Amino acid sequence: MSISRSFAWGEIKEHKFIYAIIIVVIGLTMTSFILENAYLNYMMQVVNDTTKILTADAAITSPECNIRDLYGTQPTIENAREIANRIEKALPEYKTAIRVTAQATYGAGASGEAVDGCTIQGINPEEDEKVTNIKNKIVEGRFFEKDDPILRGHTPLYIEVKGPGNLPDFTYGSGQRLLKYDKPYPIIVGATAAKIHPSIIKVGNVLNIIISTSGRGTKYATVTVKIIGLYESGTPTLDAMIWFMHADSLREIKGYGEIKGNEWHIPGVGTFRGFCPIEVDRNIGDTILVKGPEPLHQLDPIGQAEQLKNALESIVPGMKIFSWHDLLVYAAGSMQDVVTIMLWGSMAVTLLLCGAAIKYVMDSIVIRKTREIGSLKAFGARDRTIFKIFLYQGLFIGSLAGILGILISVLVMNIINWYGVSVQFIAGTQLDIGFVVNWLTIVIALVLPVLLSILAASMPAKRASMLPPVEALRKGEMAL
Amino acid sequence: MKNKRMPLIELRNVSKIYTQYGTEIVALNNVSLKVLPGEFVSIVGPSGSGKSTLLHCMGLLDRPTKGKVFVEGRDTSKITGKEIATLRGKKIGFVFQNYNLIPRLTVLDNVILPGLIIGKDEAKLTSKALELLEEVGIKHRADHKGVHLSGGEQQRVAIARALINDPIVIIADEPTGALDSESSSEIMELLAKLNKDRKVTIVFVSHDLDIARYGRRNILLKDGKIIKDSKESRLEEILKEASKTSKEVWR
Repeated sequence: MSISRSFAWGEIKEHKFIYAIIIVVIGLTMTSFILENAYLNYMMQVVNDTTKILTADAAITSPECNIRDLYGTQPTIENAREIANRIEKALPEYKTAIRVTAQATYGAGASGEAVDGCTIQGINPEEDEKVTNIKNKIVEGRFFEKDDPILRGHTPLYIEVKGPGNLPDFTYGSGQRLLKYDKPYPIIVGATAAKIHPSIIKVGNVLNIIISTSGRGTKYATVTVKIIGLYESGTPTLDAMIWFMHADSLREIKGYGEIKGNEWHIPGVGTFRGFCPIEVDRNIGDTILVKGPEPLHQLDPIGQAEQLKNALESIVPGMKIFSWHDLLVYAAGSMQDVVTIMLWGSMAVTLLLCGAAIKYVMDSIVIRKTREIGSLKAFGARDRTIFKIFLYQGLFIGSLAGILGILISVLVMNIINWYGVSVQFIAGTQLDIGFVVNWLTIVIALVLPVLLSILAASMPAKRASMLPPVEALRKGEMAL
Repeated sequence: MKNKRMPLIELRNVSKIYTQYGTEIVALNNVSLKVLPGEFVSIVGPSGSGKSTLLHCMGLLDRPTKGKVFVEGRDTSKITGKEIATLRGKKIGFVFQNYNLIPRLTVLDNVILPGLIIGKDEAKLTSKALELLEEVGIKHRADHKGVHLSGGEQQRVAIARALINDPIVIIADEPTGALDSESSSEIMELLAKLNKDRKVTIVFVSHDLDIARYGRRNILLKDGKIIKDSKESRLEEILKEASKTSKEVWR
């Protein structure tokens, strides 16, 4: 062993308690890093396996739509019906449903309720039922009926605002006053929203909502809605955000059709000028959902999703097509991003603290060992030899911490995998999934603490190596 | 063939000037000195006379502000710090007042340390170290940690360590400064024996005039200048001169 390595190891042994603490802290941080990464990989595996079991369906949107818009409002497709018909003709075993989408805010500021947001999906009940089986998910109240007042022959109150900051000024003002005699639109609300806002979200309640009618623009409509039912999709977070109206209601609100006349007559109430009745155009929609044939187990539905996308692309060239697998990957990816940011953030803080601790310990060693450094220089040690003594300490500490982190991770993962991690899917199929570690994670877990320790050690190392021998010997005498 | 009387170390018009709090302090003032093979040189002088600075310049631990230091005729002012370190490791052995043993190492490991630093073979060093330890009378403590030894024993180890690389000169800074009188005599007897039997060239600094008597050549330093050198004067004259300054602070 070279003199530098031998002395570095000697220093580590001499300061074993403080270094052990630092090594354990860095090691555990690396364990956390490896396990979190293994968990994220595991999540992606779950996504893939879920896709295998569930579905290979797709959503078609206009070309400028991105995957994030699927959770909000999609741009208008003027010939949505024609596209849906084209798909059903080309792929008879597939079913389609056109949806109209909008984002909305609701709440009752005056009664102390916080303003909240939701995405409204306008559905054709019969058509959508074939694709999504939504009727079976109603847990309270009812689904849409034929005599529901879906259309009232008017356009609601439209307001253009300059920016979101103006929103509260009109939300609970003029819209509510003008529409109080109106017969409200029926709406089906997610059960989670009802749990969050129990005083205003319940079956039978009427409330005013502000709907964005221009996609990402600034045109809003205030409408009155009546909650006719609550649904549970199985994903509580989605049930807090996604509400359902009749597609024609949203077409009317968003102005998908032809305006007829310039007066609005409400029987028994009166006639209002400037609120123009609209004849909705059912060809217009925002998204076309496509339901493929049920995938069979073990038949590579992920590949089937790709096949579906390819088939649809040839039928509707130029349109944006997202498979459910894409959506699941995006959803898992979003969670991954959050977890990854948190993970790296917490890891950075811990590692910085450990780096500072290493530097502090080595600084104190340099001060206490000044005479020793002076002696080594007197015996012919070069500056580089002294520099390497401290650098090797960093290398040893970082390597030990990295190896410790990897060993603990492997141990923990083996214990967990020994007992088994299983996921019970809706279809009743159970998958046993273990932690999935990739080599990149292992390499990072080893390299990162080594780099950190070497970096932290380099400053005291430089200071020690630059000490003139006579100064080191003199200061060492003074330190005695 | 090397000239036997060529100085091992030569200082030519060496000055060392420090700046402290904006004031220049002249530690060495135009000192010239030759150390010849086999000499046993004592350097005495009052506190602040420049003894240690002179020793540091001779031992290549410090560079002079002016003048030149030659080691075996080689001008050290023209070589890099890296070469200075190598030269120091190979040519000069150091004995410090506080022994400077590495506490966590055994006596044997302490002795071989300078050899390992300059890249010598560990096995050969070990066998040589054991011989040296026997010579300084401390072989039986070879496996002990340095810190468990008495002051006198530690200084014996330090002397063995100074000899491990067969240096041309041993530089000893107050070698008995931390020892009682009995141990001091033993250490000086040992150094004198090494000088006599092994022809090891030794230069040492001492504030103790009785210890300085062990030197066969004595140099008196005052205000950074060599006042007397027994090459030209007799020891008694030097001691007489030194006694004139006895009211000054000695260390």
